[in-house]
Amino acid sequence: MKSNLADYKVGDRVILKNVLDAQLTIQLYSMGCVVGEEILVERKAPFGDPIIISVEDSFISLRKDDAKKMEVELS
Amino acid sequence: MKKKEFKVEDKLRLILVGNPNSGKSTLFNSLTGLNQRIGNFPGVTVEKKIGSVKINYQIDAEVIDLPGTYSLSPRSEDERVTFEYLSDNTRTDLPELIVVVADASNLKRNLLLATQLIDSEQPTILVLNMMDVVERNKQNIDIEKLQKRLGIPVVPMNARLGKGTKELKATIAAYQYQQAEKFIEDHESKDALQNTIYRFEKIKGIIAETLTKEGESRTATITRKIDNVFTHPVWGFAIFLFILFLIFQAIFSWSSYPMEWIENGFLVLGNFIAETLPSGVLNDLLVDGVLAGLGGIVIFIPQIAMLFMFIAILEDTGYLSRVSFLTDALLKRFGLNGRSIIPLLGGAACAVPAIMSARIIANKKERLLTIFVTPLISCSARIPVYTLLIALVIPADKQFLSFNLQGIIMMGLYLLGFAAALVTAAVMKYVVKSKERSHFVMELPIYRTPRWTNIGMTILNKTKLFLFEAGKIIIAVSIVLWVLSSYGPGEKMADIDAKYETVLADSNADLTVINEQIATEKLEVSYAGHIGKFIEPAIRPLGFDWKIGIAIITSFAAREVFVGTMATLYTVGDDENTEGIKAKMQRATFSDTGEKVYTRATGYSLLIFYAFALQCMATVAIVVKETGGWKWPIIQLVYMGALAYFSSLLIFQIFS
Repeated sequence: MKSNLADYKVGDRVILKNVLDAQLTIQLYSMGCVVGEEILVERKAPFGDPIIISVEDSFISLRKDDAKKMEVELS
Repeated sequence: MKKKEFKVEDKLRLILVGNPNSGKSTLFNSLTGLNQRIGNFPGVTVEKKIGSVKINYQIDAEVIDLPGTYSLSPRSEDERVTFEYLSDNTRTDLPELIVVVADASNLKRNLLLATQLIDSEQPTILVLNMMDVVERNKQNIDIEKLQKRLGIPVVPMNARLGKGTKELKATIAAYQYQQAEKFIEDHESKDALQNTIYRFEKIKGIIAETLTKEGESRTATITRKIDNVFTHPVWGFAIFLFILFLIFQAIFSWSSYPMEWIENGFLVLGNFIAETLPSGVLNDLLVDGVLAGLGGIVIFIPQIAMLFMFIAILEDTGYLSRVSFLTDALLKRFGLNGRSIIPLLGGAACAVPAIMSARIIANKKERLLTIFVTPLISCSARIPVYTLLIALVIPADKQFLSFNLQGIIMMGLYLLGFAAALVTAAVMKYVVKSKERSHFVMELPIYRTPRWTNIGMTILNKTKLFLFEAGKIIIAVSIVLWVLSSYGPGEKMADIDAKYETVLADSNADLTVINEQIATEKLEVSYAGHIGKFIEPAIRPLGFDWKIGIAIITSFAAREVFVGTMATLYTVGDDENTEGIKAKMQRATFSDTGEKVYTRATGYSLLIFYAFALQCMATVAIVVKETGGWKWPIIQLVYMGALAYFSSLLIFQIFS
């Protein structure tokens, strides 16, 4: 079942399946966060916003709203 | 992008492009050393760094360092500049070679830009930087194979230690353009998104063939450990506030010596010119107009350079992006962005470079809001004004909860500025309409020790840029103000000269005192004096008299001019002698009612006025440039003026 990245907790590893926003996709892609990649939820600020994830040792910070647009599956 | 001819005779142009944090600037600095200068791209204030380097006995190269970008689909103002520079095929003066700098320890995403450039059919070579990190992470990259798959020369380097520079130069000297196989055919690449997706599919294949990896990355593990503390919801903030505190302490205590030297230097220079040049209008204009104006800005260079230094260190180590992470949730509520914290911090030194730094914010609305509120942060030019006024109305020994009251008020003014910035942003959030969705997708680079050469260069370049940008405007305005305060309507000026003629002829008279007296009387009848008297009815409800009115007008160019004007108005011989100005200001009375001018109420009212009013020509000019028009700077000027006026009115009415 597909769910979004914001639902996962720190330490979870997920596979990126789809991104529901074209602009966001390009931003994520250019930082190496590509569909099919494994994402590790590294850290969450209070109230779960923003979030730090890592993709192959690149650390990326994004907002909860952005994470909600990222469809993922547990890996 | 169009293909360009590539044939080198004795000179070529190297264009450095690469992802942010790929070590591009380090390479630029190690290639060019001090042979570099900084300019602006036409129309925008994005910095353009140009340097030169000798490739071999025969070939010289001009090196251009373009702002870091992740791809050729620009997101922010910085990235757009890079894109436009690369797309521009009107430059035909020199053969051009693009050097893509890639962080080898993050090869996959760094290759995106490289493949886009290869497909644009421009002469390109790839530098794999940070090979040391690759080794430390127990990775191995097959350079030969990568070269073959990409179809362009690949040079492994460690720019930080200067390793690989020789090889890079040899590669450049031997470079011959060869048509590489395209990654993406034109028909596939219409849509930027599809294009990127296709590209990554191919890049993944290349990576699989060329990169081998054993075990966990060490650098990432260290970064995680540091982040456990630095991005901690409680400790992270505590550490940030503590670092801020240290920075401001350092700036204010360390910069006082060089500031004193500069002040004295300008005094000496002024006296020298005043005595050497034949006296007359030109002499006065140079000394009282140009030099005084210039001195007023140069004196802030130590503080500004120091703030640049600290920000550069925080940025270079990777810490600043953590601060953005920590503050995003708070700033988002006010319509700003975690990245706004960088301009807001910089605003404490000077709004001009701070506003320039707002271009790292990709979202247009958030960038505009950041630019709009940054001047509300108390900058270093307000310090002399605050210092004088606080000393005037608050006794030095007065305490509040056993803290020095003067210090508390000073801190209060800084907090007030910050609070006003946030509240203003929150209001503007509803005024400015935008359909653009706000993202906050930001890379957090791994922690590194600062690269001191880069930091040194940043300080040098930014300070120079500030000095010239702000200097031009301040000199121009200083000249106008000098004219306004040196000339007046009718014969009154001449009358004053006539009146003192006999006194001056008296050899027993104290010349300094009399000259100061003449200056004061002249200022009163000058155009500036008339303007001051004219606006007095409007500022009287704030507790200000016409002299303060003049000071407000003259300090419109730059706030610190207030102190100098007060010194002239209150006939104090020595500008440095604040004790003297203070004593005279304390005795000042309103000419009609005979009441004391500088009561506590007027002092507070004036402090608030200077905290809020946009008394800075340089800021107005930079906002015109950065927002591309007069609309926003005018709104900003009116808004901050109104905020200052009504806040002062309120404060004065409460305290009087």
